[in-house]
Amino acid sequence: MQTVTLTPKRSPVISIEAEMITPDVFAGKSDAEIGAIPAWEGNEEITLADVFDVAVDGSADAAGTKIIIDGNVPRVKRIGEAMTAGEIVVKGDVDMRCGALMSGGSITVEGNADSWVGREMTGGEILVKGNATYYAGGGYRGETCGMRGGKLTIEGDVLDYLGEHMCGGEILVKGNARLLPGVLNWSGTITIEGDTTLPGGEMKSGTIFVKGKVLEMLPSYKDEGTEEVDGVTYRKYTGDLSRNGEGVLYVSV
Amino acid sequence: MAEMIIKNGVVYDPKNSVDGEKNEICIKDGKIVDNVGAGAKVLDAEGCLVMPGGVDGHTHCAGKINTARIMSPHDMRYSPIPGLSGPEPRTKLLRPQVGYNTPNTHAIGYRYSKLGYTTIAEAAITPMMARHMHEEFESIPILDKLALVLMGSNWQVMQYIQDGDSEMLKSYMAWALLASRGYGVKIVNPGGGSNWTWGKNVTGIDDKVIDFDVTPADILIGLAEANEALNLPHSIHVHCNNLGVPGNLPTTLDTMKLLERVKASQDRQVMHLTHMQFHSYTGTSWMDFASGSDQIADYINKHDHLTFDMGQMIFGPAMTMTADGPTEYRNARMFDAKWSNYDQELEDAGGIVPLAYTPQHFAHATMWSIGLELALLVKDPWKVMFTTDNPNGGAFVNYPEGQVLLMSDKKRQEVIAGFPDMTMDRISLPNIDRELDWGEMTVMTRSMPAKMLGLEEKGHLGAGADADVAIYDVKPDKVDVSVEHEAVKKALGFAKYTIKGGEIVVRDGDITALPKGKVYWVNAYENGIVQTEKDRLITDLEERFKKYYSMQFSNYMVEDAYVPRPVEVRPEVA
Repeated sequence: MQTVTLTPKRSPVISIEAEMITPDVFAGKSDAEIGAIPAWEGNEEITLADVFDVAVDGSADAAGTKIIIDGNVPRVKRIGEAMTAGEIVVKGDVDMRCGALMSGGSITVEGNADSWVGREMTGGEILVKGNATYYAGGGYRGETCGMRGGKLTIEGDVLDYLGEHMCGGEILVKGNARLLPGVLNWSGTITIEGDTTLPGGEMKSGTIFVKGKVLEMLPSYKDEGTEEVDGVTYRKYTGDLSRNGEGVLYVSV
Repeated sequence: MAEMIIKNGVVYDPKNSVDGEKNEICIKDGKIVDNVGAGAKVLDAEGCLVMPGGVDGHTHCAGKINTARIMSPHDMRYSPIPGLSGPEPRTKLLRPQVGYNTPNTHAIGYRYSKLGYTTIAEAAITPMMARHMHEEFESIPILDKLALVLMGSNWQVMQYIQDGDSEMLKSYMAWALLASRGYGVKIVNPGGGSNWTWGKNVTGIDDKVIDFDVTPADILIGLAEANEALNLPHSIHVHCNNLGVPGNLPTTLDTMKLLERVKASQDRQVMHLTHMQFHSYTGTSWMDFASGSDQIADYINKHDHLTFDMGQMIFGPAMTMTADGPTEYRNARMFDAKWSNYDQELEDAGGIVPLAYTPQHFAHATMWSIGLELALLVKDPWKVMFTTDNPNGGAFVNYPEGQVLLMSDKKRQEVIAGFPDMTMDRISLPNIDRELDWGEMTVMTRSMPAKMLGLEEKGHLGAGADADVAIYDVKPDKVDVSVEHEAVKKALGFAKYTIKGGEIVVRDGDITALPKGKVYWVNAYENGIVQTEKDRLITDLEERFKKYYSMQFSNYMVEDAYVPRPVEVRPEVA
């Protein structure tokens, strides 16, 4: 078991590209080695030691490595990008694209996450205890496939385009989702416990559960009557018919 | 400029009947010469392969590609071929690079040069789009460039053909080349681009074009005859009707037979057929679709009035961009892919759809095979140009892959081994064991494209040619390409030296200098059209611009300022 604790030393104004903060990169490294890893702050090349106090306890492979970011890092992007194993705990907020492309392990964000949390993730688990903003579990700009596997849980609210272009995996939002969750979906399951607006726009296939209210419904969904799933009665819709979609949208009655 | 002599190279220069000989190549003032003085700089090729600089006679590198860039931000991160794709930071010499199918303009120049290519032809530009294309040309370094101008669905062209007014047609073609500072005549899905204005297409060369009393056959013959009457250096350059449609073989054969009656004005083809792979399908639907390459090759082997290029498919992500609007609509619907659509006023249509080809898909595997079959079944390499229809069949940085496939049966069999069973009875490639030699490869990638385009200074190493030379780290007398295809592929991707206009621009696969290339264009108007005909044309065009165009006639023509290093070709007037 290896525990790496990163304590923020300052609050940068310009975002820091920190795709190297992963168990895969940190595994087996000393505090000095981790502190010397280069990162970009705007157009300036820095090291992690410029931003964090680094403390390492033990040494292990990626799966046995736990990274604790002991504070708020709302301007540190891409934490846990493409990680395959291990654990990251952030005791505060994170900037965009946390856990993008991750395939294994877990990330816990105790504060809020900015846009594209879990972008194109294929496995592993992300838990955001606060809110997330746009494109949670979404795709890369221009790609036709977003999240492909794994599980993304957001305990608070999210803004627009939750699970955009989703191709697999599972998303759970315990609060509300704003506009167009599951837009352009191919597959996967999205559950929204709160309210949302225009779910499933141009959904091809895949499943969306809305346990709160749908504030506005797309006209291009077909009403299929009621259905009970796990003891809850939903009104079932299929669509989006504008794209010959076969997605299923369950709305709590 | 200093003199240079390349020694100890194994030279392939098919136009001058040099087939792997240890000749010296002398360069002076950017040209190949017979001999140089004793003080000339000596470049030791160390027994390596020496060819003329590559000529890509059909690529999409400026114009529509800009829309493709906007549509595909994800392309910026693709890097399947390190050193020739993906993001690369700025260096002291080079601009930053991104992209794979749609690289930024500077990367296009760098990467073609690394492949040993020195001349490229943008294959489809409307006169309306030409000014922007020249601006893009200006920021593609190193390479010499030229553009083919779309005329196959142009209202003026169709009107003059309908009227039987061959003089006006000639005048307009010459004027359109002048207005776009273009080099040759491109015809894409003749008539279909015009019908696309109404959401329709044509299904063969004898369909009527909506609102004009002409057929695709009329357009092809009209433009071909006028092209020859103008004595243009390039023939018409044709993308047939029904691209990518199962059962399009008869349309392609009809088009080839149709042109038998046109007489070439000079020693070249009367028609170049482009990306033939997409036009060689038998069957009636995707279920029974199969390769028709044997019938196409049989026809071409027996006739000498045409040339073609392969349009070879490369597996992986591609970007289809064509003036064939209805085809792109079909692609977008078939693959549920995103789609950009053009309707360029009176001039043509167009569309862009990103796709990906995979060897596991029987149809893609079949298409991949057809491109290679065509090149291997046609006996005379002077009828075949190597292309991938960049980036429609695949990005140009895959040229070494495609070239090695033509040179190694072993490599082909390795790929075919992974194909689905559904492909195997649709293709003949497994039974073709021909392997091209270096001389044939030089023809298909340099000499033939230069001859086909009428570029006399390109594609060879005889005295008077531009000193565009590619030297690859391959020892032709020691390497067995059939077996060592991976090493050869790598060598072809990163030239040991690329020399452009007598200057070393690539050394050991790295760019060393950034000269600006020339732009070839054809002026058949000034001397080629008599004043009374010019007056008649301009009067008609002014009226048409008032009626139909969104642009002022006076703003239309590309000014000289957009072509700072022109090579103006004036065809001899008959």
